[in-house]
Amino acid sequence: MSKFRKSFHIKARDFIRAGEASINVQNLLKSMNFDSRLIRRIAICGYESEMNVVMHGGDGSLSIEVDTGKLVLEVADDGPGIADIELAMQAGYSTANDDHREMGFGAGMGLPNMKKNADQIYIESVKDQGTHVRMFFFLPDGAKTD
Amino acid sequence: MNRKLASTCFVRFDEDRCVGCGSCLRGCPTKAIRVKKKKAIRIVDQCIGCGECIRSCREGAVSAATEGPEALKKDHVAIALVSPVLYAQFPGVMPKDVLLGLRQMGFQHTIDMSYFLEMFQYATEEFISRNRRSRVAPWPLISPVCPVVVRLIAFQFPNLLPNVLPVLRPVALMAREVKSRLIPEYSEKGKDVTLYYINPCPTKKDPVCLPPRKRPLPHEIALGINDIYPQLVKHVNQIEAADGIPFYQTRLEYETCATGNASTWAMSGGEIADMDIDQSLAVSGMEETISYLGKIEMGLFQDIEYIEFRTCREGCLGGVLNVIDKYLAKGAVQKMIKRFGLGKRLHRENILRMYEKGEFQSEKKASKLTRLFGAQKEALSIDSLKKIEKVMKLIKGTDCVACGAPDCRTFAEDVVRGDSALKECVFVGAQTKKKG
Repeated sequence: MSKFRKSFHIKARDFIRAGEASINVQNLLKSMNFDSRLIRRIAICGYESEMNVVMHGGDGSLSIEVDTGKLVLEVADDGPGIADIELAMQAGYSTANDDHREMGFGAGMGLPNMKKNADQIYIESVKDQGTHVRMFFFLPDGAKTD
Repeated sequence: MNRKLASTCFVRFDEDRCVGCGSCLRGCPTKAIRVKKKKAIRIVDQCIGCGECIRSCREGAVSAATEGPEALKKDHVAIALVSPVLYAQFPGVMPKDVLLGLRQMGFQHTIDMSYFLEMFQYATEEFISRNRRSRVAPWPLISPVCPVVVRLIAFQFPNLLPNVLPVLRPVALMAREVKSRLIPEYSEKGKDVTLYYINPCPTKKDPVCLPPRKRPLPHEIALGINDIYPQLVKHVNQIEAADGIPFYQTRLEYETCATGNASTWAMSGGEIADMDIDQSLAVSGMEETISYLGKIEMGLFQDIEYIEFRTCREGCLGGVLNVIDKYLAKGAVQKMIKRFGLGKRLHRENILRMYEKGEFQSEKKASKLTRLFGAQKEALSIDSLKKIEKVMKLIKGTDCVACGAPDCRTFAEDVVRGDSALKECVFVGAQTKKKG
């Protein structure tokens, strides 16, 4: 069984191009005619993770892997890491600064939103080394990926 | 995949004039155009009728699938259904005089669409205020007024079909009124009627493209504003030069347009300008529209209730079939607003009574829209995606357009789908020659 994986670069603090990586992921999944509701869930997760990297992280990447029965969305960066993952998972908790808020970000819903939309989420983070988030989306039986 | 040579339902390609420059390729939002063998332009059946190819063609080889004034059938009763964008083509002229000019041109009836736009506005306000409580539709709701936006959503963002406001579009309200009220009067007398839609863009489908059983009855013809302008401007000038205000009796209230501000609608933001909605936005331009739709799909803008989208910059004033430059037209509209304010002719109570009876409900289900507009491409498999990546590595990736595809990625996809040969890439071609 073959897998397909594609990565897109994310640049830290580049608010102008922010969102491009997740748009690319979306377009790729659309070309494979995945269920549109599934694509929307992945799009939301992709955008939230991308914004996290742009706002808080270092340079990084957003990857999508199409595998038998599941899709895996991965975001990795070499930024400062998440100090307290449990706290970050709480709705409304945010480490955004005033600049971010002025742009309309920093509602503290990023990670909670990702958790809500993914079937499974795994977060690994090491202080000053970076963060790696993996999100799994399981396909209903019978949905073809090959 | 369904491929057609030369023309789609919305635009016509003149192969004699086409020089194969490829200017039209990049502008096409659905990547529906390919240039093959320098002359022939191949259209994939993915055209949403936006008219960007008309805008970008320097040779004048692309035109809208509309008719000219010679289409006016003398033996038929001619009814003009007028988009208010037409008024904006005549700066300083009152809309009623433009309509009078049309009647002098030979239309027995002129229907002012802005009347139905007001109707639509009240119905939309009502739907939104009810939706605040019931939440039957997701925020943000998307305006259904621009048909290109709706087709774009069905084709590229099917996720967002539930966001499209389920209220009948103004043009549908107008057609319903004319078909139920005016046409029966004539059919009783045994007269044939033809409806002429006067449009700023190639949005109306050429009936020839429709299957015979779906062809509209009575006869319906789309005229571009540019098609009738040369004749109309003569009549309008005469009317303006005449002493006193010429009086012309019209029977139905929407046959003329007493207000000066009707062309507000033609401007980006005109639809929401006088709507009683706190959280609304107006977005115009193809790139901007696509970018916003993508963002809505990613979960943004849920705090906004209604978004007016127009794929033409500055709204319908920017339509490709207009005659006057969009910024001049916008200036004229703004002057009219200054003079006349916004105000409406219709009364909310009457419209609400119609609303209660369900007269504004759009029956189009999401799936029907997808079938109508979404010429979905065959799905790519993991294998084909891998092949596409391989092709991408072989070709240079500069999006030079020389192969006749809009960009390298689309070319790679064409190669994998078997629609193009790898050697059509000039970069690959040059390398094989060197080796050989």
